[in-house]
Amino acid sequence: MASLDAWLAKPATAASRRFSLALSQTFLPRLVAGLTILLIWEVVVRALAPAYVAKPTTVLLAIPKTITDPAFLSAAVQTLTAVAQGLLISVVLGTLIGLIVGRSLLADRMLRHYINGFYAVPMIVILPLVSLWFGYTSSARLATIVFASLFSIIVNVSDGARAVPREYIEVSRSFRSGRWRSLFEIVLPSSLPYFLAGLRLAAGRALIGAVVAEFFTSINGLGQYILLMSRTFRHDEAFVAVLFLAAFGVGIDMVTQGATRRYLPWYRRDERTT
Amino acid sequence: MTADALRRHGPFWLSLIIGMALWEIAGRMANPAFFVPLSETLVRLWQLTESGQLIRQFGESAVLFLTGFVLAVVIGMPLGLLLARVRLMRVALEPYIMILYATPMVALIPFILSMMGFGFAPKVLVVFLFAVFPVLYNTIEGARSLKPEMIEVAHSFRSSEWALWREVMVPYTLPFTMTGVRLAIGRALVGMVAAEFFLSSTGLGQLIMTAGQNFDTPGVFAVILVIGLMGVALMRIGLMIEQYFARWRD
Repeated sequence: MASLDAWLAKPATAASRRFSLALSQTFLPRLVAGLTILLIWEVVVRALAPAYVAKPTTVLLAIPKTITDPAFLSAAVQTLTAVAQGLLISVVLGTLIGLIVGRSLLADRMLRHYINGFYAVPMIVILPLVSLWFGYTSSARLATIVFASLFSIIVNVSDGARAVPREYIEVSRSFRSGRWRSLFEIVLPSSLPYFLAGLRLAAGRALIGAVVAEFFTSINGLGQYILLMSRTFRHDEAFVAVLFLAAFGVGIDMVTQGATRRYLPWYRRDERTT
Repeated sequence: MTADALRRHGPFWLSLIIGMALWEIAGRMANPAFFVPLSETLVRLWQLTESGQLIRQFGESAVLFLTGFVLAVVIGMPLGLLLARVRLMRVALEPYIMILYATPMVALIPFILSMMGFGFAPKVLVVFLFAVFPVLYNTIEGARSLKPEMIEVAHSFRSSEWALWREVMVPYTLPFTMTGVRLAIGRALVGMVAAEFFLSSTGLGQLIMTAGQNFDTPGVFAVILVIGLMGVALMRIGLMIEQYFARWRD
């Protein structure tokens, strides 16, 4: 019995020692650094900037009021819905095109330059064109989001499709599986880590696209909310919206990285692109 | 020209010709207020170049891009190395850098506008903010992957801190930094256009905005083409820089 107790106690103390080590070596410096940054920000703004400029204390006080404000809520719902819709379109279209480009040499040689070209174009230059085509509507925002996110998915999925080990394809072929079947049942699952990396980039770019489109066309959304609030000198409310966007960006990073680690432990590709 | 070269490059040229033909045909069929053929775009591009307008605005944009980008590299790299070397600082600041990296920087533009106004400095700040985090992040990641043994060896040869930086840290980290630089080039370009759109209107951003407001669709297409080609060229340059510095890695 005593040995059992000792056995039970042992990992617990090791874990708690590790925990306190982590506490003192990572959590504490982080807390101190965070508080220092906030303190410097507060002091500098109080001393040098006009009263309307956002500072930590007033932003903190503005949080409860802002997140219950119907204008903020409807803006957040609008933006996030548009981002979700745009991403869905990009994922379906981008995966399909990416798989074809990745597996067909001819399609690759025909389309690669266009895909890389569009990928390199800063997406926000199409705003005047998109607003010309769709008017100042939410379709213009959706189009911007799709354009912003589509090419990251295509590029990453086609990279993944190209990296599928040749043996997988050979085995599936020797079992007489058809072209499309091996595309969706061998190539697609095998390139999932690349897809997730692409999705992570695409989501970040989609968010930027949505905000930029809202700046440009003044349709209801978080970008427009930030613009309106900062123009009417309510920087604290505007900053709460920025914090919300930042949290969304960080959340996407954490979910996609967590999914890669949890469900695809055989692949690690912690490389950040664009 | 061998058959092999033809097979390799043939589809590319063929697809380029098909693409241009499609643009031309679609442009002729569509409403000219919405879409214009390639030929008209090129004519407008030539007019803009000849009047000197394009060159001048391009110059303005280039100065903005280069100032913000160079500042980002000059500040991002030493800071990244410092954070990598001083473990406590890295541990303390890393999460905040990650958060700033994931924040869509465009959302900060209205604040910059209302605090700094319409000069050149706020625009440089936008380009800088877009570009600095990839450089910083990749430098830290690179310097962190430096094996402790290498530093230990340097120390056991009585290397000074300065020599350690010059002979070990900087050369080892450069390829990683250059990956960040490649990414920063693309983001700085987005920052440049965003700054020219949403802060005081100058450069190519202004050119495209005025064209859009005057329903000068060929003008919009011409400037988009210029910025697009700029993006492609800069991406190429970035890749070349990255590969040049990564020679020893594999």
